[in-house]
Amino acid sequence: MAGIKLRQVTKEYGSLNVLNSIDLDVADGEFLTLVGPSGCGKSTTLRIIAGLETQSTGDVEIDGVLVNDVRPSLRDLAMVFQSYALYPHLTVQQNLMTPLRLRDLDFWQRLPLLGYLVPGRRAKMAKIQEEVRNVAEVLKIVPLLNRKPGQLSGGQRQRVALGRAMVRNPAAFLMDEPLSNLDASLRVHMRAELSELHRELQSTFIYVTHDQAEALTMSDRIAVMMDGDLLQLGTPDEVYKYPNDIRVAEFIGSPKMNILPGVVDPNGQVTCLGFVLDQSLEGTAQRPEQGPVSVGLRPEHLALRPDDTEGCFAGKLTYKENLGSDVFLHLETEGLEQRVVLRVKPHEANLVKLGQNIFYGAEPGKMILFGADGKRVGFSAQQSDGKPD
Amino acid sequence: MSKSRAHYWFIGPAVALMILLLIMPIFVAATLSMTDYSLGNSGFNWVGIENYEKLFSRRSYQKMFSASLTYVLLVVPISVALGLGSALLISSLRIGGEMYKAVFFLPVMATLLAMAIVWEFALNPIVGVVNDVLRSGCDKSLIYGLLSGSWLGYEPTTSWYGAACIKKFPLWLGDKQYALGTIAFIGIWQGFGFNMVLYLAGLTSVPRELYHAAHMDGADSAWERFKLVTWPMLGPTNVFVITISSIRSFQVFDTVEALTGGGPSKSTYVMVYAMFEKGVKQNLLGIGSAITIVFLAFVLILTLVQVYFVNRKVHY
Repeated sequence: MAGIKLRQVTKEYGSLNVLNSIDLDVADGEFLTLVGPSGCGKSTTLRIIAGLETQSTGDVEIDGVLVNDVRPSLRDLAMVFQSYALYPHLTVQQNLMTPLRLRDLDFWQRLPLLGYLVPGRRAKMAKIQEEVRNVAEVLKIVPLLNRKPGQLSGGQRQRVALGRAMVRNPAAFLMDEPLSNLDASLRVHMRAELSELHRELQSTFIYVTHDQAEALTMSDRIAVMMDGDLLQLGTPDEVYKYPNDIRVAEFIGSPKMNILPGVVDPNGQVTCLGFVLDQSLEGTAQRPEQGPVSVGLRPEHLALRPDDTEGCFAGKLTYKENLGSDVFLHLETEGLEQRVVLRVKPHEANLVKLGQNIFYGAEPGKMILFGADGKRVGFSAQQSDGKPD
Repeated sequence: MSKSRAHYWFIGPAVALMILLLIMPIFVAATLSMTDYSLGNSGFNWVGIENYEKLFSRRSYQKMFSASLTYVLLVVPISVALGLGSALLISSLRIGGEMYKAVFFLPVMATLLAMAIVWEFALNPIVGVVNDVLRSGCDKSLIYGLLSGSWLGYEPTTSWYGAACIKKFPLWLGDKQYALGTIAFIGIWQGFGFNMVLYLAGLTSVPRELYHAAHMDGADSAWERFKLVTWPMLGPTNVFVITISSIRSFQVFDTVEALTGGGPSKSTYVMVYAMFEKGVKQNLLGIGSAITIVFLAFVLILTLVQVYFVNRKVHY
């Protein structure tokens, strides 16, 4: 178990900057998720922590020890890969034994046949087998021990890959999109199981995913990365409620946040689609500067209004997305390129028809303003230091 | 279902051609191998298995089998090992890999017959560059000391090089002690580039993540990673490369025809050359066909063994 620190880590491939000065401080026992669209540098960050790639500049520390020049196997980390990367010619048991064999047996003891003659091998092998057995029991894969990876289903392979990471009892687990090869229902199930495993092991987990739902459901903290930058680091709630960058706001949350164009007038009032919005922005410490801004509104913070009352937007209903418990209404609004999405209850959705002009308004205090540079306006220091609440 | 006959028309031409061009010739050869037919004769006599009896009893044919098998046993392991070695080295390069690939593949692309003539000159005992170079080392103490082993404390004249310096360097193609080895050397030189290309293709199909996993698991040395990942993942490639190399080695002909003509004293009398000599040069189609059938059986057995016994173990 160990904390992991990245200090001003950069990575360049030739002239291409993949990572721009990443600072990250993962606490001991924490479940931290690196999330971002593909190509944002999250996997590279993970591989730099693992030692599979070398950073161009910057430092990596594990448990307070600088590991820049330490080879992967000596960093005491274990990794779970997207493709599971099980050795296909070995049985599950042999797969699980591999990290222990390589760590505990010396060169002579690993030799085929001859190795049996080297003293001390038998005791070590017995210990290894016992450890493998224990892990297999925790993961409920004992009946699979004699099969080969080719004979397992995706979910079973996933467990074996987890097991191979667990047998060494590493300081931290690194996971590179471990669930993305599973089907949807199994993925949801494994999410819960991984969270439980984390609670049981009390170990540090660094988890890479492009799926914001996985990030929100499992993590203690989320690090949102985009274009090689670490945009925001915070608890799932913080990142969801107070995204400090318009890109974070659009990436986290499904369906994504509605971004409407707005203008701040000299009095500090925000006008959006011809309406003056109420000013009591939650968590806002400073008044936005004059000029164009983007107004962010989550679909659940918009509500249908019966008629054209004060502070009300209008739009034509083009699509109803029925999720059973909720319905997303997609509205076309004049003067807006993208559609506005509303989240309503099914009985409300039943009142409106496709093609109909409907009125909607925003819940007071829920909107978020982003300046022309994409940063959140009125963003107070409290929410940006990345510490959990 | 209607009684359409269209399917016969679809598969008919392919099946007819297959029978005519691939299967019939084997039957014809098998039939001829039981006769004493010569090209141009109006008739022939059935001789039963007499031709096969000759094949397995006469000394010259025993030499033929031994030459072919020795050649295969020399060329296959060495060209496979060299192919794998060079493929591993090339795939580890960041730059220059393309150049090495092209250079090692050159002999594969070149006409072996033309190359054989070049080798004939190089190996010529009097004007050849090989013996020239070897001879020139005899009076240079550094090279002489190294090659004759005198630096290691051995008596220089007892070593191969020391003795050759005193007497003479071998007639590479004219000495029955060296001829087959020399032909095999040319076969290896010519063939390993092909194996290298096959191994390079095999290596690209090894998932990168397996190497990463091996790194994480503590396979720190290149040898450990080779044992844990590369070698097992190359299993299907190995089977293919060894099968192809064996068949190609059994088929060796051009170098023998161009350089030794089967001699000296039948030391390089390989099967395909024997086939050519009996069936074409001496117009003994019966015995020529018998050799063909035995040759076919060898290659078939070899292939079946690989497919059934080895292939099963390399697909996981």
